[in-house]
Amino acid sequence: MTGTIAVRVSNVSKVYPNGVKALDRVSLEVAEGEFLAVLGLSGSGKSTLLRSINRLVDPSEGTIELFGRDVTRAEGKALRALRGEAAMIFQQFNLVKRHSVLTNVLTGALGRVGGLRSLLMSFPDDEVAYARACLKRVGLDDRASSRADALSGGQQQRVAIARALMQKPRVVLADEPVASLDPALRHSVMRHIEALNRDEGLTVLCSLHDLDLVTRYATRVVALREGKVVHEGPPSAFTKALLHDIYGQDAHFDHEEVLA
Amino acid sequence: MKRCLREGGDVKPVARLTQRLTARGTALLVDALLVASVLLMAQFLWLCLFVPVAGTPLPSARDVLERLSYGALSGVAVLLAAAWQLWDRSPGTAFAAPRGHSAPGKPWDETFSGFFLLIFVELTFFTGWLVTEVDLHQLFTNFHKAEGILRGLLHPSGAVLFEGLILLLQTIYLAFMATAFAIPIAFVMSFMAARNLTRKTAKARFLYVFVRSVMNFARAVEPLVWALVFISWVGIGPFAGVLALFIHSVASLVKLYSEQIESIDPGPMEAITGTGASLLAVLRYGIVPQIVPPFLSYTIYRWDINVRMSTIIGFVGGGGIGYILKPRVDLGEWGEVGTLVLLIAVTVWALDVISARVRERIV
Repeated sequence: MTGTIAVRVSNVSKVYPNGVKALDRVSLEVAEGEFLAVLGLSGSGKSTLLRSINRLVDPSEGTIELFGRDVTRAEGKALRALRGEAAMIFQQFNLVKRHSVLTNVLTGALGRVGGLRSLLMSFPDDEVAYARACLKRVGLDDRASSRADALSGGQQQRVAIARALMQKPRVVLADEPVASLDPALRHSVMRHIEALNRDEGLTVLCSLHDLDLVTRYATRVVALREGKVVHEGPPSAFTKALLHDIYGQDAHFDHEEVLA
Repeated sequence: MKRCLREGGDVKPVARLTQRLTARGTALLVDALLVASVLLMAQFLWLCLFVPVAGTPLPSARDVLERLSYGALSGVAVLLAAAWQLWDRSPGTAFAAPRGHSAPGKPWDETFSGFFLLIFVELTFFTGWLVTEVDLHQLFTNFHKAEGILRGLLHPSGAVLFEGLILLLQTIYLAFMATAFAIPIAFVMSFMAARNLTRKTAKARFLYVFVRSVMNFARAVEPLVWALVFISWVGIGPFAGVLALFIHSVASLVKLYSEQIESIDPGPMEAITGTGASLLAVLRYGIVPQIVPPFLSYTIYRWDINVRMSTIIGFVGGGGIGYILKPRVDLGEWGEVGTLVLLIAVTVWALDVISARVRERIV
């Protein structure tokens, strides 16, 4: 770890037009190279927090910096450049279903490859080669020409990881990346995200609700409740007793889905 | 406009006040219209049924409509509507409430509003019967007067068969060209008319309202009227018909296309935006792949509709088979009319079957 701050969130609030307050003066710092797990019930603001970092959601107040550059006030080309540095992985994979796996990976390059050619699905040779390399990394190089929706859920999420890698990002924002997968497949996907963190040195912010996964992969945990940071610390500190404390007495932790 | 306010003006008190005033105004307007209609319809029925005009057994609907007290009853209706809103939950209040905010309460048939709406619908039906001068006696006793026409239609003459076939070809091409010209323009405009893409900035919201309004206007004007406009512009003939159907097709396709864009899965769009892609790339990869099949389906359907419409367009001089149909109707040559009608019917039927089949295969 170099000690550089990759993501700095300062006093960020988000109120949606329907009046829901999703984030309430959230502040946190993520050092370069960290694997930060964001924990919380659905509706606690995890997705909003992650989406504020690449401005898929516009925060109502506060500032967010990505490697010292203000994301919240960036517009146009500057915003697109910052988005290019933060790759996002989604719970529902969000692939372009009717396009091939390879094209889907290539869309990760759209931040740097512009122009008419890219709109006609024609990408430079070196980008195509890199896309194939990314697919190989997630073990799907043999499925490059399949249609994306022909793949299983776990495979689709691996394509999404390859798309993130294609972006050549410095930060990965993973929003519940394994929540819609079979429990048996979760580790296979999580291990690829872990590899992004360990082998590529990418900073990962990953929202999760499964305590086992948190303790297994994260280096640090932040817990959100009703849009506020209610706890922060190493994964080992998140015992079941503490979780009861965070989520209230109504929560049960006998099954792993309880925090869903 | 109301929706813009609701979505744009989140917590600002001024926006909230405007919003409430708009809702209140809409509610009052709706209630006043409802009450005024009920009062006027009651007066209409009263005049028709109980106040005979000297000399005629039943006065014509138009005469009675001219005698209604529009001003006075509208005034009374506004007062009653205002009183209603203070007293109880009125239909207008329910109409103006934001979506998802309808108050749960008693079943409709136990409320005064429900009773009122029932009366409203019943009055509308009886009034409508008299306004449109429904006459079952004529319908069931005068069949023989139309017998000649029907017989002619059922005994088509071969005299116009060749000419009809040629002009039928022209009709099909006419409809095709109108559709082809409309596709690219409607495609581009539909993105500007899609709610989900035009929420963020004030400029985008204006664009949405502007494009939607222009399109609604273009669609509200009958193709027949557009045909008359273009006939004086480019002269009688199929090109005027192409232009008339083109305008109408753009307007309809923008509506259908943009509704399709509004119902896409926003996920891929989010993902492509997140890569730092340009707006065009987001549209190209995040939206277009999702809308191509339904767009094709709508476009084929539109061509199908255009073939049907071009018959009527031809009546006023817009080319195609309708052009030779009109004089034969005027001269009462029912056999030849029968031939032409049959040709149109077969074409429309065939196109309908083919387009349904193709659309099934695409989606």
